[in-house]
Amino acid sequence: MSALRRLVLALAAPAAAVGFALVTSSLILLLIGSNPLVAYGDMLEHASKLETLVDILNRATPLYVSGIAVAIAFRMNLFNIGVEGQFLLAFLVAAHAGSLVSLPAALHIAFILVVAMSVGAAYAGAAGVLKVTRGVNEVISTIMLNAIAVSGLVAWLIKEWQAGGSIGTGTTTRVGTAPIDESGLLPDLNGVLELVTRDLRPGKELTGVLVLALVVGVVYHVLVNRTVFGFDLRASGFNPFAARVGGVPPKRMIILAMSISGAVAGLVGMAELMQSGYFPSNPIQGLGYAGIAVALLGRNHPVGIAFGALIFAFLDVSSGVLQFSGAAPREIVVIMQGVIILAAVVAYEMAHRARNREEARSAAAALHEARAEA
Amino acid sequence: MRKKWKALLPAMAVIAFAAAGCGGDEGSGASSDVSVGLVYDIGGRGDQSFNDAAAAGIERAAAELGITFTEASPNDDGSNRGELLQLGADAHNLVIAVGFLFEGDAAKVGAANPETSFAVIDSSMIDWAQDPPAPYGEKIAGLVFAEQQGSFLVGAAAALKSTTGTVGFIGGVRGVGGLIEKFEAGYIAGAKAVNPDIKILSEYITEAPNFDGFNAPDRAKDIALAMYEGGADIVYHAAGGSGAGLFEAAKTQSEASGAKVWGIGVDSDQYNTVDPAVQEYVLTSMLKRVDVAVFEAVKAQIDGTLVGGETRYDLAVDGVGYSTSGGFIDDIAEKLEEFKAQIIDGTIVVPTDPTQA
Amino acid sequence: MPYAIELTGITKRFPGVVANEQVSLAVEVGEIHAICGENGAGKSTLMKILYGMQPADEGAIRVFDKEVHLGSPTDAIAAGIGMVHQHFMLADQLTVLENVILGAEPTRSAGRIDFARARAHLREVGQAYGLTVDPDDRVETLEVGERQRVEIIKVLFRGARILILDEPTAVLVPQEVEELFRNLRGLKSAGTTIIFIDHKLDEVLEVADTITVLRQGRSVATVKPGDVTAPDLAELMIGSELPTAQTIGVTVTDEVALEVKGLTVVEEDGRVVVDDVSLRVRRGEVLGIAGVEGNGQAELIAAIIGTAAATAGTILFLGEDVTHATVRHRREAGIGYIPHDRHREGLLLQAPLWESAALGHQTRAPFAKGLFVDRAGARERTEWVRREFDVRTPSVEVATHALSGGNQQKLIVGRELAAEPAVLLAAHPTRGIDVGAQAAVWDDMRAARAAGLATLLVSADLDELIGLSDTIAVMMRGRLVAMLDPATLTARELGAHMTGAGVRGDSR
Repeated sequence: MSALRRLVLALAAPAAAVGFALVTSSLILLLIGSNPLVAYGDMLEHASKLETLVDILNRATPLYVSGIAVAIAFRMNLFNIGVEGQFLLAFLVAAHAGSLVSLPAALHIAFILVVAMSVGAAYAGAAGVLKVTRGVNEVISTIMLNAIAVSGLVAWLIKEWQAGGSIGTGTTTRVGTAPIDESGLLPDLNGVLELVTRDLRPGKELTGVLVLALVVGVVYHVLVNRTVFGFDLRASGFNPFAARVGGVPPKRMIILAMSISGAVAGLVGMAELMQSGYFPSNPIQGLGYAGIAVALLGRNHPVGIAFGALIFAFLDVSSGVLQFSGAAPREIVVIMQGVIILAAVVAYEMAHRARNREEARSAAAALHEARAEA
Repeated sequence: MRKKWKALLPAMAVIAFAAAGCGGDEGSGASSDVSVGLVYDIGGRGDQSFNDAAAAGIERAAAELGITFTEASPNDDGSNRGELLQLGADAHNLVIAVGFLFEGDAAKVGAANPETSFAVIDSSMIDWAQDPPAPYGEKIAGLVFAEQQGSFLVGAAAALKSTTGTVGFIGGVRGVGGLIEKFEAGYIAGAKAVNPDIKILSEYITEAPNFDGFNAPDRAKDIALAMYEGGADIVYHAAGGSGAGLFEAAKTQSEASGAKVWGIGVDSDQYNTVDPAVQEYVLTSMLKRVDVAVFEAVKAQIDGTLVGGETRYDLAVDGVGYSTSGGFIDDIAEKLEEFKAQIIDGTIVVPTDPTQA
Repeated sequence: MPYAIELTGITKRFPGVVANEQVSLAVEVGEIHAICGENGAGKSTLMKILYGMQPADEGAIRVFDKEVHLGSPTDAIAAGIGMVHQHFMLADQLTVLENVILGAEPTRSAGRIDFARARAHLREVGQAYGLTVDPDDRVETLEVGERQRVEIIKVLFRGARILILDEPTAVLVPQEVEELFRNLRGLKSAGTTIIFIDHKLDEVLEVADTITVLRQGRSVATVKPGDVTAPDLAELMIGSELPTAQTIGVTVTDEVALEVKGLTVVEEDGRVVVDDVSLRVRRGEVLGIAGVEGNGQAELIAAIIGTAAATAGTILFLGEDVTHATVRHRREAGIGYIPHDRHREGLLLQAPLWESAALGHQTRAPFAKGLFVDRAGARERTEWVRREFDVRTPSVEVATHALSGGNQQKLIVGRELAAEPAVLLAAHPTRGIDVGAQAAVWDDMRAARAAGLATLLVSADLDELIGLSDTIAVMMRGRLVAMLDPATLTARELGAHMTGAGVRGDSR
């Protein structure tokens, strides 16, 4: 099969999924009396604004990191549902640790990132250790660990570390950990962006974590597809028995894969932390679960996940404009996200089968050719 | 009491449609060129509580003042609050944000849009980092309530009506900036003002950042039943959607034991909003007049009297209060009005921290 | 004699490939008709067509003199055709009776299963065909041969009068094969027609009444066993002479490459699966391990490669104690491994060929450069293996599952031998592959032996064991019970040793 055909097959599936989602959403919109063309028009017009692009990128950044975290485990057939708990815990501990120290900028940022990654790695690694030593399925353990993190550890620690709180007249104000010094915050990318575009509206910031996310994507690709470790990881995912006799230590791989997945998960909260400088009592939650959807949509491929994150971010950001323009209820974006995922799963399976058939055919043909020559 | 926080389910979740209505109802009487962008907290219209109170306020403003308005509510994870405020500011003179979680975004978007007025419910919109603290902006108003004062009165009502000498309090989420603790503090102080020896059982459903406590009627029911078993005969909740569980528990307990127990509602007059089957167990409700605040903010915008920083809605302006629907507390109304007068004239200062109540 | 089945002009094309071309086949009622041919000759496709799993593009099918259209296995079953697959489709946790009636349960009112009627019917079927099984045994407790019998009964229970058996002997030991053949003859005398797919020529000649040979999708000959010899058949099948697993000359040196002393493996449940085994394999030597499957051979191999922990004893590799070394250390030190189940332990089916070719060697050149995968080197090596070991594939980029079994096996053998190991653990190296691929694998193993490789060979193919081994050890219940000289051994004698029936005086 030619490389071109391969590419066509690879792109056909997500394109079909998005197309199917568009048709389905259009039908739903028509059904509830909205004009889909107006709705899509509003979404696109809104998205074409520079400020909205910044919103999309800001939203896509943590989604992407979360997707990569999930994908790392996926590549080994491990289902890390625990990104949610890992990232919240890492976010909180990193925010607190970062507020305690004052260091030169580069060191301060590095310190915060290392703390976040370590906490995420340790928390996900715990699920790996449970699986290896006690045979606890990681799906079960990460779900439990999520609950423990969100309702237990984070709730308790944020009380311990809370700064601010109700000040003055007894009305609420910013609540969360103490703010991190300016030196600990990644600078925004407005300067870079404004070089190629116009000035952003004041108050808009393109998160610097975007660069970090891109680095994570590249490292993910190299680690998984280019290193021996990545080979071991994928081999274990393809066939754990074959990997084992091939010299891959299964227990170590499980713990390592979970830990690395958790380390990346630890970075999910950095987009919010680097912008606000503290862990609030109401952090944005659900990114860990959204990462599963994004990884699924992106087929665990670093570029695919980026597309998935951008599509989800675009839809998330569109919900506001649809409401204000009155073109459609905001729920339509959630429906579109759901339909895209479902359609993608189906389309990928179909493309996968098509590819298998094609390969089996070409292998059989090679066999017959060889016979015919003999 | 409001946030219906939901973890963003993987998007495959089945979606129920809540057709969020759009567009403003044209006022019948007056007309005005003021247009308002109303941004609800997560969950939007139809929460039978906080957001609906705001909706009632804006609709009254549309009818009486002739303004137009557009509504929106954030994504389920609250990730696009700032974007919504900006979109609101793009097309409206006044943007009203329902809930203190908008504070940071409102300050930022307000600064970027100096021509637009902003009003945030439940936040004073004062920058405490400045010395001395000052409003975030001239046109950024914070509308806050003295929930502790209203809670004091229903606490007093509970103590006056209790026959067992034990009452209960169920908070939705602990640690949301001390917000729910204010309700608890007022309630305890009010109960103790009547009966210094009263026993008060107090429990929260979840702790931040787990916001499930605002939408967990089953857990509220379990807690309430345990409180009734523990001798309480009146329980007050400050737990948003979870409150339904409290009233169910009151019915269950009353029918099982033969001795009537009560629940106390919050935010709106819950006697009128609960399932009719449990109506007779709603002793009273602590009223938090979000609708009044929204209406007044619109009016101030029209009059040009909107001020930056905190505007307080307390007992003195009927921003908080208690309901009398059902007539269950008519016998103690006199006593309650006495407490109310004492709070208004400053004789009683209601604490905001439960440890000082 | 009327025909049970008549196929005329059956043609099946897959894009680019003709799997069956104008195949004609006539099977008489009550005969055992063998279909022979290499893997890829079109046997499976033909049987799938006959069992309604795939439609033919052209041609006609007549069953008991009636033209039929077989759109699905259900149609085939209705026409009286039943199939026993190579891989059993039994639920281990259920009893024989439950398995037999599964999907064809006789019911009483309200959907309750009528077990009494089922049991009676099962007994009738068993008696009619001379097949004995205990209906209340759990399938997981049965031997392979017994399971196969359950499969056959299952098909007969559904009223099949034509039985298709897909390589039924591949999983059996010689004694079980004899039992199977006895049963088949019994079925035949009860009037059942049997179509028997096989590529083991001796067996075909022994049991079949008629033999049809397929080659490259065509039926090339239909013969009577009395008229042909095994080499004749082989020639018909592959168009060349029959390969034999005969080793020429002695290349055994006195340098011990692998030494196992007192090795004992105890499972978690306390079963002793390898019991005090000691053996030595010298460079240039092939030590064969014979035994009925499940007597500890798999665990012995697992302990040596390192996937099972040794409870006691030592394993010395080139003098180094590797008893507690990791699998990776052992592989890097030079222990090659051909697993008994290539799909389970040998390959990454979803990965491209070159990645499957790297498995087990991924830490070393040419597959790795430091911590990174050497993609160019890996592809180059895979190309080399493809060439040298005749792995037929359009490219090294195709997914491994696209290859036929024989080519997959050649890839594994090539990958292991290309790494030039000092010791090769070969478990059933030619299981389930066709004669041509088998010959190639044997050639490769012989060449490696001559080059000084020490091989530990586990096989259920007794001819292969006798032909390739310098010494044969018989394993039973975890112990090595006899050391035999293949030069003076027949497959029958070896089979007797394996079942413990004939431990006569010829053990060394």
